[in-house]
Amino acid sequence: METYRIFDSELEKLSQKVIQMCSQVEQQVNNALAALKEYDLVLAKKVVNSDTEIDTLDVKIDKLCQKIFALQAPVASDLRYILSALKINNDLERIGDHAVNIAKRVAPLSEYRQLISELGVDQVSAQTSLLFSDVLQLVKTHDLKICQEIYQRSASVKEGCHEVADQILNEMMQQSEIVVVASNILIILNLIERIAGYSNNIAESITFVVDGEIVKHRKNLQ
Amino acid sequence: MIHEKIHTENMFLHYGSKLALNDISIQIPEKKVTAFIGPSGCGKSTFLRSLNRMNDLIDGVKIEGKILIDEINIYDKNIDVVTLRKKVGMVFQKSNPFAKSIYENVAYGPRINGVNDRKQLDEIVETALKNAAIWEEVKDRMNDSAMGLSGGQQQRLCIARTLAVNPEIVLMDEPASALDPLSTSKIEELIVQLKEKYTIVIVTHNMQQAARISDLTAFFYLGELIEFDKTKKIFTNPEKKQTEDYITGRFG
Repeated sequence: METYRIFDSELEKLSQKVIQMCSQVEQQVNNALAALKEYDLVLAKKVVNSDTEIDTLDVKIDKLCQKIFALQAPVASDLRYILSALKINNDLERIGDHAVNIAKRVAPLSEYRQLISELGVDQVSAQTSLLFSDVLQLVKTHDLKICQEIYQRSASVKEGCHEVADQILNEMMQQSEIVVVASNILIILNLIERIAGYSNNIAESITFVVDGEIVKHRKNLQ
Repeated sequence: MIHEKIHTENMFLHYGSKLALNDISIQIPEKKVTAFIGPSGCGKSTFLRSLNRMNDLIDGVKIEGKILIDEINIYDKNIDVVTLRKKVGMVFQKSNPFAKSIYENVAYGPRINGVNDRKQLDEIVETALKNAAIWEEVKDRMNDSAMGLSGGQQQRLCIARTLAVNPEIVLMDEPASALDPLSTSKIEELIVQLKEKYTIVIVTHNMQQAARISDLTAFFYLGELIEFDKTKKIFTNPEKKQTEDYITGRFG
């Protein structure tokens, strides 16, 4: 016998907010990467200014989770979902911050757009956009098949970041005048790599929601 | 290794022609708290009452299969039910102290078991009241009527009365369902302490109570044991969809 639960509307509200958060963060990431590629300072500024919306949503999701924990004493799949929503929210907020940090570093790169493109930063950016589109899809559908895709893309983004970083280090040795800008690019690569890491975390959290399995740190703990 | 205190195998129980328990096989470990949960009419209280043969008092009850306590079938012909119920005590939903003094309530069981020495009785009463976490509240009013105690105190007194005959297993049928949150919390704390010495089996409708105090949880539905596992597992990631639906309030 199915029973209507008042609780369900709260869970639905939470789910909608998490999807909204993910969708807004995806926009931020894409805008930051587009601003980097196109040297679009207006877009970069927009990313910086939009962070408040992400922060507001972050707090709303935290409060909603808090309310559900306090009033509904969730268990089993409900418990796993709310625990994960908190973590995913946290990861998304951090990704949002990284998008802002990328956007803030666009302006100093003006003279070196050609170099950035030649080094392959654009390819890494494109991979990151695809990765995040998978993350959004996963958050919407909870389809665990997407997780594998995310793990693979995330690994290839990280690999791409390392390759580009190696090239930049070589360039820096040959052209000392690019040290400042190259350092900026290294920081951007590091931020992109972190975004890939957080994307992995989100896939692990959704696996926990669906299977009840804690898969994080699995390699290290085996 | 954890000792298996209660073991049932393919146990069926009929009330007349109605099947109330269908093929229950379960192993309940010693000195743990095991909670039975499930919607009303699922058989959990019936099963609990089978463990000290309280169902013998109901007409038309027929039991098949094995119910072993310490590997002895409690439904064997040569089992003395009074001795069984000393070993397997019971606390009910509604506290039911006798209309006697606090002291006499606890001394009653030992007295009918032949303990008449006052000093020995005093010791038994004090220990039982201490074990039931009510000694400090009643030690100066032992001769007052038990009926003057609050609901929560009466329930702890009934627990003391059960402990006074030195049982090994304590069955509890919704022992805190009629109590306010503070008294409930005292009973819960007490249950957790009691498992050091006793095997506790508790029926509760309060899912959070089962989650808070039990080591293992059994979910009953329509007379069947659907799932029995560590409480932690049942409340975070149960195996069966029926368990999940019940504990999350999706049916029942």
